[in-house]
Amino acid sequence: MDTGESVRITLRSIRAHKLRSALTVVGVVIGIASVITFATFGASVEAEIVGDIETSNAGNIYVFGTPSGDDDFDRTLQPVFTEYDIQQLEGITGVQAVLPRGTVQTQSVRHGDQTLARQQVTAIRPASINDGVLVDGRSFETDEEAVVVNERMARSFSENLTTGERLTMTMPDGGERNVTVVGVVNGTRGEVPVSEFARQPRVYVPIDPFYDSVVESPSAGVRQRAYPQVTLVVDPRAIPETQSAIQTYLSGNSDARSLSADDTELVARSGNDFVEEISDVIERITRFVTGIAVIALVVGAIGIANVMLVSVTERTREIGIMKAVGARNRDVMQVFLVEAALLGTIGSLLGVPLGLLVGYGATRYAEVTFSLAPLWMALAVAVGVLVGVVAGLYPAWRAARVDPIDALRHE
Amino acid sequence: MSESANTTVRVEGVSKQYDLGGTVTALDDVSLDLSAGSYTAVMGPSGSGKSTLLNLIGGLDTPSSGQVVVNGQDVSAASEAERADIRGTEVGFVFQTFNLMPRLSAVENVALPLVFDGWDRARRRERSVSLLSEVGLADRTDHVPSELSGGQRQRVAIARALSTDPALILADEPTGNVDTDTGAQILDLFDDLHAAGNTFLLVTHERHVAERAERIVHVEDGHIQSVEDVSGGQD
Ligand SMILES: Nc1ncnc2c1ncn2[C@@H]1O[C@H](COP(=O)(O)OP(=O)(O)O)[C@@H](O)[C@H]1O
Ligand SMILES: [Mg+2]
Repeated sequence: MDTGESVRITLRSIRAHKLRSALTVVGVVIGIASVITFATFGASVEAEIVGDIETSNAGNIYVFGTPSGDDDFDRTLQPVFTEYDIQQLEGITGVQAVLPRGTVQTQSVRHGDQTLARQQVTAIRPASINDGVLVDGRSFETDEEAVVVNERMARSFSENLTTGERLTMTMPDGGERNVTVVGVVNGTRGEVPVSEFARQPRVYVPIDPFYDSVVESPSAGVRQRAYPQVTLVVDPRAIPETQSAIQTYLSGNSDARSLSADDTELVARSGNDFVEEISDVIERITRFVTGIAVIALVVGAIGIANVMLVSVTERTREIGIMKAVGARNRDVMQVFLVEAALLGTIGSLLGVPLGLLVGYGATRYAEVTFSLAPLWMALAVAVGVLVGVVAGLYPAWRAARVDPIDALRHE
Repeated sequence: MSESANTTVRVEGVSKQYDLGGTVTALDDVSLDLSAGSYTAVMGPSGSGKSTLLNLIGGLDTPSSGQVVVNGQDVSAASEAERADIRGTEVGFVFQTFNLMPRLSAVENVALPLVFDGWDRARRRERSVSLLSEVGLADRTDHVPSELSGGQRQRVAIARALSTDPALILADEPTGNVDTDTGAQILDLFDDLHAAGNTFLLVTHERHVAERAERIVHVEDGHIQSVEDVSGGQD
């Protein structure tokens, strides 16, 4: 029979039971919406992070210690990379710059009459701040009583911090240090890897004179500064070789190796490794959420099947009428399959925008740029229709088998 | 009986048993021929097997034994799909309770057999509208059954029965659910359609209804008791 007519008959029947139909598709709506939410959110996060690293940081190698080995996001922040290690790393072929990084403890940061407690203050070399990240001013110089802040920090004060203004840092011992803001950086770019994705307000200070974590270097035999994390800028044409040379040094006779616990692994990761790592995490989350969505869709399918069985019973007489005027079994089957498929389609058509909306909210909350996942949307609609059809198979088969005589006597 | 050339229906030694715990014999060795263009009434008390006979001829059911041939096709030997086609194109049913699709408009109800017969939408509508005006419902085409009176509903059902231009119209107590005047109008419509060449088999338990036919087949307890020619039957 022609599909237009079965759709017409079906739409009349769905319209006659609006509330019931709406409740029936809720399961499908939730399933589809959750897939779309996480597909959209995952795609947005991935596009943003991968984009960041690929555009500016592909030639960076990050060096740090990790206690669990296989998880790059679980790091020890022990200061184990000594000045001696830094010098050795600088000597490796392909290494263009070594940029150590440490945390300076402060009680608070004050600007004018406004005080912010527990701000992250990061000690870095002047070279870590280049024109690529500066939006205003310049980097500090070694020994200068000056700081650079990121835009987020600049906006943290009710009066925006600008270049040339003064900040007061209260140190853990209660002493105060007055510094000049000489530059503002864009927090989303630059050398610092994962810590920046959180987009926390940051103050950057020169290692000299602010950073004072010192250890005795086993190789040099003297006390010198040591850092928990080091970033290396390497020749982009020789990333793999340089990366393995760095790894070899770290695992061999480095101070960091001697100073770290035995079960801590010292790793050198490239920007690409992070891209893969992040993609991996997102994929794992997506798979988990897809699992939940599948459960929701199964529940949705059971709901549709249940309502379809009720519908077949209610419309037994109509089935009899259709058969009396020439409907073959497959015509009757078609009418009910179309109804089930239409319920699935309505469910996914409602689920997609809902998922997009929630996904959009999630990206706003996480402060990442919203990206669409069109393939997932198409897939979701297809799955919705399929769920309907599968759920409708048994009820439609039951409908097709109804005996016309019994059906016409029904009620 | 009459020769097979203009025989529309041939029922040959048909029996029908229903099994419901015990066996109920609804029809027992019934034979009956309907010639093309004839108007026959089947009359008998309730439970005598009238509807069963009509359903077997119309291909809604299959006999336990015997043969039913409609317009040259052996309904009793047909597959389920073939019987569906026979129901759709060779016969038109008119029921006591109208049996219209409740959410389809009059014109869509009339067009339903044409949907299953593979007509396209435009031709379906054209034919259905013209049939509705033939039964006097030109101004009710887009009403759903609940917006129509009993008599109007039965007219829609009659238009539907005519839609595929079947060899035979089967009417089971068509006046049973309408008042006497409306019933008379429906029977008048049957007379007109009979005059126009349609073949009718009408089931009733009322003498005055049966008398509108050319011939009355009296049924009792699943047997044909007698066949009566109605003198002065309608032309
Ligand atoms: N589908 C059925 N299942 C069981 N018994 C039936 C069925 N249809 C008819 N019968 C029985 O067959 C007999 C004849 O029924 P029917 O043909 O409907 O009589 P009528 O139409 O003359 O009132 C009755 O005894 C009825 O109970
Ligand atoms: Mg009956």
